[in-house]
Order: sequence, then C-alpha cells, then structure tokens
Amino acid sequence: MAAIFGSEIHRVKADVVVIGGGTAGLNTALAAAEMGADVLVVDKAHIQRSGAIAGGIDHFFAYLETGEPWDTRDAYLAYVSKVARGAANIKIHEKVFCDELVPAMERTERMGVSLHQPDGKILRTQALGQPGPYAINFDGKLLKPKMAFQIAKKHIRTINRVQVSNLFLHNGELAGLAGYDIRNGDFYEIQAKAVVISTGNTNRMFKSQTGNPFNLWYCPANTGDLHRAAFDAGVELANVEYVRMTIVPKGFSAPGFNAFFGMGGKFVNGLGQPFMNDYHPMGDKAPRNMMVWGALQEVRAGRGPIYVDVRHLSAKELAHLFSQLGIDKDTLPEFLKAKGYDREGALIEMSVSEPMQARPSELCGSGIKIDETCASNIPGIFAAGDASDQMGCLHMCMAGGYAAGKHAARYAAKVARLRPLKANELENERRRVFLPLMRNAGAAPGEFENIVRMITTDHFGPYKSEVSLTSAIAKLDALDRYRDELKANNLHELMRCHEAMNIHSVAKIVAHAALARKESRFIPYHYRSDYPETNEDWCGLVAVRKDGETSVATRFERLPYAA
Amino acid sequence: MTAVIDKGKCNGCELCALYCPLDVIHMEDGIAVIKYPDECWHCGACRQECAHDAVTFEFSPAMLAI
Repeated sequence: MAAIFGSEIHRVKADVVVIGGGTAGLNTALAAAEMGADVLVVDKAHIQRSGAIAGGIDHFFAYLETGEPWDTRDAYLAYVSKVARGAANIKIHEKVFCDELVPAMERTERMGVSLHQPDGKILRTQALGQPGPYAINFDGKLLKPKMAFQIAKKHIRTINRVQVSNLFLHNGELAGLAGYDIRNGDFYEIQAKAVVISTGNTNRMFKSQTGNPFNLWYCPANTGDLHRAAFDAGVELANVEYVRMTIVPKGFSAPGFNAFFGMGGKFVNGLGQPFMNDYHPMGDKAPRNMMVWGALQEVRAGRGPIYVDVRHLSAKELAHLFSQLGIDKDTLPEFLKAKGYDREGALIEMSVSEPMQARPSELCGSGIKIDETCASNIPGIFAAGDASDQMGCLHMCMAGGYAAGKHAARYAAKVARLRPLKANELENERRRVFLPLMRNAGAAPGEFENIVRMITTDHFGPYKSEVSLTSAIAKLDALDRYRDELKANNLHELMRCHEAMNIHSVAKIVAHAALARKESRFIPYHYRSDYPETNEDWCGLVAVRKDGETSVATRFERLPYAA
Repeated sequence: MTAVIDKGKCNGCELCALYCPLDVIHMEDGIAVIKYPDECWHCGACRQECAHDAVTFEFSPAMLAI
C-alpha cells in the first residue's frame, strides 16, 4: 500500500500559491489574479465548503459613516484600540481592514450575497464591547459557494483535498511547498514565488464539552498545519499565547453568541440573575472574553448553570433569532428544538466552549506575524485571515484577504524567476509524509491527540502559571516519542496523523509564548495566576520564532495606541 | 453526532462526498456513506448541497443529554 502512495508526483508552478481556500484565501486569490499573477489555491478540503463559514455566516462587522458619532473610521479604530489593546496593530488594521472595507462590502454584494435585509434596509446589532451596532446581520448562507464560483469564473487553478505538509526556502527566501492528496495519495511539489497562508487557527487542541474533539465552535479541520510548517521554516508567530473561548449552547459548540446577545438575549446564572454588570460596565454587550470570564466566575462560585434568557422576546423576535442562528450554524435551530427550547418561556442552557488557539479579540488575529503588506519575516511568505496575527472574523478576512493577494502579487511580480527546490529535501519530505502508513504498529492519531488535549487543558486551558506551563512543555516534549510512532491505516488516517502532530507542535509553541508573557491580558484568554494583573509594560506582541532544532525564542514588540 | 444519509434517496451525485470539509463522507458502491460519523462538524454543507433531501442530522446522546 505504502509503495503506491506517493509514487505519483505532480510538479506544479505558480506565481502566488494560496494555502487554505476559506474566506481569506479566496479573497486573496481573487486579488492576486486581478493583479495579473498566475495563482494556485491549495485546500485540504474543497473550496466550495471549506473553512470557518462552510455552512454559513450571519454577520459582518463594519462602520458605515452614517453620521452617528460611533459610526466613523476614527471611532471604529478607537474601539479596536480599546478592545484589542496590546494585540491589534492599528497601523496594520488601517491598511488591511479600513482601507479595504468599502470594496470588500461591494465585492460581497457583487458575488450575489446581499448585506441588506429583504426590505432593502441594513439591520445592525450591537455586542462584544462595541460603542454602537457594528454587526450587520445578513444571510451569508451561500457566501462560501458564491466565492468558490468566482474562483471558477476567473479560471483560477485550484487543487482540492491536498494537505500542505511543509514549506521550502532557498537562501532564506520562499522556494515552494509540498503536500499530498488525501484521497489518492499523490505527492505535490509546488514551486512558487510567493505563498499566502490562510489556514485559520488551531482547533482540536483542548478538550471539548462532550468529549468529541469535532464538536467545536470553529472548523475542526483547522489544525495549525501551516502555523507549524511556517514556524519550522523560520516564520515568526505572534498573539499565540491567547486561548480563545466563547459561550455556546450546552452540548453543541456552535456559533451564535453574536445573535443571542445582539438580539436581546440576557445572560443569567442558575439563580435566574443577570450577572454581567458585576464583571463589565457594558453588561451583556461586553467584549467576548469578559462574557466568558463572567460565566466562569459564576460557575466557580456555585451559581451555575448559565442560561440565555429569551423569555422577554416577542414570538416574532424569537423567530428572527432562531432563523438567524440557523444562518450561522445550519443545524443549530433543530438542535435547540430537539432540546425542547422552541417553546414560550424557555431558558436556553449555555456553556463556556472549548478553548482554542486563536485571536483574543474579533479585531485581530493569532498566528503568522504580518506587517502592513501582510508579509511575514521570510521573503515570499505572506499570511491572511485568522492564520495571521492581525486579522480575524469575516469582515477582516474579506477585506484583509484581498489586501494580502495584492501584496503577494506585487511581490511575485518583482521576483525574476522561481527559486529552486532541492531534490533531497523533497525526497525526505515525501518519506516523512507517508511514513505513518508504513509502520506495522503504533499509536492511533486520535489517541495521541487526546493525550495532547489532556495536557493542554490541564495546564493552560485556560488558567496558567509558570509552573503549569513549564510542566506542560516537559510533558508535550516527552510525547515526541509517541508522535514519532503514529500509525495510519489509510489516507484519511494519514491526514489525521499529520493534524495530530501539528496540533502537538503548536501546543508547545503556545505554551512557550504564554510563558513569556508575564502578566494577564484578555482574561481568561491569557490568565497567569502568578501574574494576575494586566501590566501596561506588556502592551504589545509576544513574537515567537524557532531557535535551533528544538528551542523557541521569544521577543516583545510594544504596540503604540493613541491616548 | 453525525449527518445521516437516506440510501433510498441518494442518487449518487457525489456532491456531499466532494465537498464535506471534514472528509467524513465517501462514496461506496455508488452511494454516499458517512464513513467517519464521529468526525462530523454538523456544518450542514452536505444537506445544503443535496438536491434529493437525502441528508438529515442526528445529535448524539451526549449532545442532547448533558
């Protein structure tokens, strides 16, 4: 079996390769193609339905310059400075979001997805610490397939079901990448002048509420594959010390937070009491991390479970809320119905979700550290969307993805010729990739992943300290010997093996970054019990980079904000 | 937790197997099969793509009971 897999080798060339065809990646590909670059999209799933919005999306954050004082670019940036302080780089935010916002909204409409309601009006709701209703509610059920249609219409080359396994450099600059087809085992050697990494965050890294690692808020296919590969290639990461969580329905980690609390739901504890005013002056419209913090404190104090109280909503409002929830998560309304919540007077039980390696706020990202041109520290490697340290959420992926495509295309146009890939490196990679298929015995990827999740959840999911993090790193390092013995029985399991290895590697990076930040910020996303206060000296980014074969180097980069 | 395919309704068009973001659905003997039910994300993409109403969803006991 193993002798067959990998024997078919495809050698492909492109100016710009987009790795990950989710929202950010497809906008990147459209921009780069419009700039005249020869573009290739590589996706581990299929671009029709891959990434965070595979099944739909229901809100788009924007300021619309309507004349309201909170609805301007400056007011929006003041909001970003406040809510994402220490994580969002405002200069980058202006370039990748503000400068791109209007065209991104126009592009969304041109694709055939209206940001307007059927009556032609724009419906906006307020949550997440916003000074006004920035969340445009819309029906984005078909946004992903419509984006994929644009890719096909522009004849942009796409390779689906290929997991990228590593990036390769030549004299310190990008030369290309390798990957394999998870359905037929073909191996890909791809030369590129530039790559844009848009592969989301690292999910499946912590225990989930039902114990099933695929019952997650965000896409379980996003497993930090390119965080790990980029890190190994010398790319610097930032904002990865944060462990993101949200509030989800009990039993089903589905999105819906924005709709639940933006459309009038009240957060109450097991005594039926609203509690968020005890934790944040904005109450139920507080930033997400504070909602999670409040819920954790209530449960810890014995006042759980927590509920969304929708009893005061009219039947019409409730119907709108449920239909909106179904746009964001296709199967959520029937789940709520199966739980018996489709009756008057129901309290909907909620839970704090599983933690994940992701951005501490909707206004920044977590991952590959980018500059104002979406470039990383390695020439030729760019990042967009959730995979970058400065973008996240639909609005930034639509806007910033496009910015990344323009910059990558400009860069590629200046590169005279494709840099060479080394035959021995590719051969070693091909062997490494298919090795789990050749073993006669070894740990199953799911079993290995479970051990990683037990360690991460115990030691930094989310509470952490120097002792817990140091101990986690030692335990994760000790797991290396099991990682090197993983066994796959088929190609699907081979993909799961590589995902498990990547989750394990990113978990180590996250622990190292968290160890470096000696304060607490965006609690509980980075809550150090040994440094429980937020310290202005740490208002900035912890950047992490590979140091030698096994070590991790960190440095701090201060971020300035207007007073 | 998983999507469930009605074999009687599936016409073998392969769209669900083509697009499933988790590689959960594969074709077997010309019919779509949920090969890795524990790895379903419940995103509903397969149901949205199916023109023959062959896909429904079942929630696991843990999801409904806890």
